[in-house]
Amino acid sequence: MIRPSLILVVLTLTALMSRGSPALADMWQDRVKTVVAVEFFTETELDRRSTNTFGVVIDDNGTIVFSSQAIGARVSPKQLEDFRIYFPGEPTTQEYSATYLGRDEFTGWEFIRVDEEAARERLVPITAYDEAPEPIVTDEIWGVGLKKKAEDFKPYFMSSRVSVLQSLPQRTAIAMSEVSGLGLPSYDQDGRFVGLSIGGFGRSFLQYSSRIRGGVPVVMVNPDESAVVMLAHEILPHLDRIPPNIEGRPTVWLGTNGLQPLDPEVARYLELENQAGLVVSEILEGSPAEKMGLLARDVILSLDGKPLPVLKPDHVVITYFQREMSRRKPGDKVVLGILRGSERQQVEVVLEDAPLTPREAERRYFDSLGMTIRGFTFIDGVQRRLDVKDHHGVIAHFVKANAPASTAGLITDDLIDEIDGVKVASYEDAESILENIAQDKERGEFVLLVKRAGDTAVLRVKLK
Amino acid sequence: MLNILLWCGLLLPLTASATSSGFERLLDAVVKIDVREVTFDGGTKRFGSGIGSGVILSKDGLILTNAHVVSPEAVEINVTLASLERVSATLVGWDHWTDLALIRLDMAEIKKRKLSFATAKLGNSAKLHPGQTVFAVGTPYGLTRTVTRGIVSNTQRHFEDSRGVRGYETGAFNTWLQTDAAINPGNSGGPLVTENGKVVGINSRGYLGADNLAFAIPSTVARQIIGALVKDGEITRSYVGIVPGVLQDLEGFYELAQNTGMLIKSVDTGSPAARAGLRGGDILLSIDGEKVDGRFPEQLPEIQNQIASRPLGAALKLEVFRNGSSQFKMVETEKLISRVGEEEAFEEWGLSVRKVSRTYAREHQLEKSDGMVVIGVRPGYPAAVSGLSRGDIILKINRQDVTSLEIAKQQHEAYAAAPSSVLVETSRNHRVSLYVFKP
Repeated sequence: MIRPSLILVVLTLTALMSRGSPALADMWQDRVKTVVAVEFFTETELDRRSTNTFGVVIDDNGTIVFSSQAIGARVSPKQLEDFRIYFPGEPTTQEYSATYLGRDEFTGWEFIRVDEEAARERLVPITAYDEAPEPIVTDEIWGVGLKKKAEDFKPYFMSSRVSVLQSLPQRTAIAMSEVSGLGLPSYDQDGRFVGLSIGGFGRSFLQYSSRIRGGVPVVMVNPDESAVVMLAHEILPHLDRIPPNIEGRPTVWLGTNGLQPLDPEVARYLELENQAGLVVSEILEGSPAEKMGLLARDVILSLDGKPLPVLKPDHVVITYFQREMSRRKPGDKVVLGILRGSERQQVEVVLEDAPLTPREAERRYFDSLGMTIRGFTFIDGVQRRLDVKDHHGVIAHFVKANAPASTAGLITDDLIDEIDGVKVASYEDAESILENIAQDKERGEFVLLVKRAGDTAVLRVKLK
Repeated sequence: MLNILLWCGLLLPLTASATSSGFERLLDAVVKIDVREVTFDGGTKRFGSGIGSGVILSKDGLILTNAHVVSPEAVEINVTLASLERVSATLVGWDHWTDLALIRLDMAEIKKRKLSFATAKLGNSAKLHPGQTVFAVGTPYGLTRTVTRGIVSNTQRHFEDSRGVRGYETGAFNTWLQTDAAINPGNSGGPLVTENGKVVGINSRGYLGADNLAFAIPSTVARQIIGALVKDGEITRSYVGIVPGVLQDLEGFYELAQNTGMLIKSVDTGSPAARAGLRGGDILLSIDGEKVDGRFPEQLPEIQNQIASRPLGAALKLEVFRNGSSQFKMVETEKLISRVGEEEAFEEWGLSVRKVSRTYAREHQLEKSDGMVVIGVRPGYPAAVSGLSRGDIILKINRQDVTSLEIAKQQHEAYAAAPSSVLVETSRNHRVSLYVFKP
């Protein structure tokens, strides 16, 4: 039999041993000021959706960044509304409005700025703390997590040890378990800034069930926390990349499509050891790459005289190359070392501003027809493998269920070629024709000629 | 109530018996077909086997069956006669479009073993009417000479399947008989007959999981196909590249009289019709002056045949309606080919491929019909180890364009003789990748 007093002693001892240092607790309290909860609304044809994400303060002007992953790829900046921030752990009845500044393609960050001076003053930028040296494997790092809105985004402490360091291509530390809320900073034992966590990492598991034989592979993704930290020296130099406009223009363009990394065996066969190569699948029409004579199946070996680095996994070199491009500006010159057949060559390319993207294209929703049309962009032509010189038509960007257009068989992303037998020459063209149809209350029907995966369909849209 | 029962009892033997001498004779003409065939799926040549049914049509041993029972991949065909004797047979010809194939008994063997068999007579499927009693005879699940009874459910069922017969297209050039006679796997190729034993259809397929929805190729279609297969071993059809659509409900919009014209749903890229300037949304009004009526789906096969039956290289005068006025376009026909290309297995590489066909290239929006599609890799062999997988299109081997299977065969032979690393260029979703096959 154990006496109660002895148990008490053991318990007290355990409590003392595992207790965190007061210095760390203070540091943690302080670092919470660098993070906020961000909320914004996306206006769609049918509803208004709210999104909650986490942001980090980057300067004294109340500028906050969060990951572009929080905003859907199909969403236009014009659809984004009512940005606001909440302070961690404070009642969510108190919100502070912010202004959307735009997206930076290079870093993949969305920028907002808090409107009120009083709110800005309470924020502390990550630049207020020293930059930590690159951690080594086994180093303990820690950060802040934030609960959901229903719990007032209450902050909580997280920590783990660095398990491995990798270049993806940015220098990244991967911890044994989650170290911070998604997109939020982490720090070392001295409170120095280690880096910002990034998402998109899942963990592989096997799911066993009594009904299905064998394990089913599943990938589990934690949507709120992350164990992957992009290191400070990949972050701090880019904090000044505040977009000059919400479209994030200019964006640089080379025009090489479908870059594929060389497999190590192939590199060896081609005698390209200790360096990476990228096979160009196609050269886009009218692009800088085409103008400078780059050809499909050329293998890019170097950029401005620097061989492409060997990065693992192999496909990371694609991101490396794309980042190197987006780091540059339209008008910049790059020299590409390429392998064409078995011959090495140098090609000089002057980069240009990229063509309009689907995100930026004009769009308009016609409620009575149940469809949104969007201007045809260069990328739409590339995806549908259409002749660039013959660009026309509009894209069915959204089709409302059980409405006239969907009943007729229109599907999202159909290319509308003709309306009522008249070729759609431009977006304005389509908009005015559909406007007339929508206005005409006597109209019984209209006919769309659409292209879908190389096929054509004639759709009869009944309005009555 | 009693009256009705009695009446039924009297009626049944009268209308649904099948004891005519013609029916007896038919039963003796139905055979079971066992097929051993080669497949190229898993990076190697393998042999598979299948069972089907067939019906003997002539004294010289011609047997009609389905194209999905006996194909050119068959290496061994064994026929079990009504007498339960087994005799070997050879393929005369096949046509996946109508799902029909013709084989011939080894008559020397028949003579030597002094075997005998009955022959069946083809009836006229055009005279069938819905509700008429029919019988299906065949070998469902290997159960020889099984007779099931039903009625004609529909005489003109239209359905097309782009990969319905072993991955090949079917149904574009014929309509089907629909019956509720029970058709199960193994019935394929067996006859659908009337009470007097006349063959009115060849049972081909049924909906799995549905209650007695089965389909047969009408004897009128079979009659034409048999003639051509005996003569040439294949059916040559003409092609212009028009994908037909029904005009139903659209006449009003185009301000056309009813039962006038057929909608051109789309035009195959690079096809004769595309080169002549036809496009999706056009209405085809006439072919060489003959009016076209494609209001309903059932009418489309006939229009397709109107084009297919023209000689190769013939110039067709197509009247097309577009934007309120009609115009004439001259289109030169070319040979219709299937989307399924020739297959081959390169065993040293553990790689099976299928030649890219014109149709495949079009469906996948490829610029050329060069290259071959990977249909299987054998685990642990060079192709699989290099990372190649099903669906990749091999464009080059050792920097040589794969314009034909022959080029790949030569490369493979060279490798087999003296194994050394092979550089392979592939495309997948228009992305070009390189692989190395290492010995």
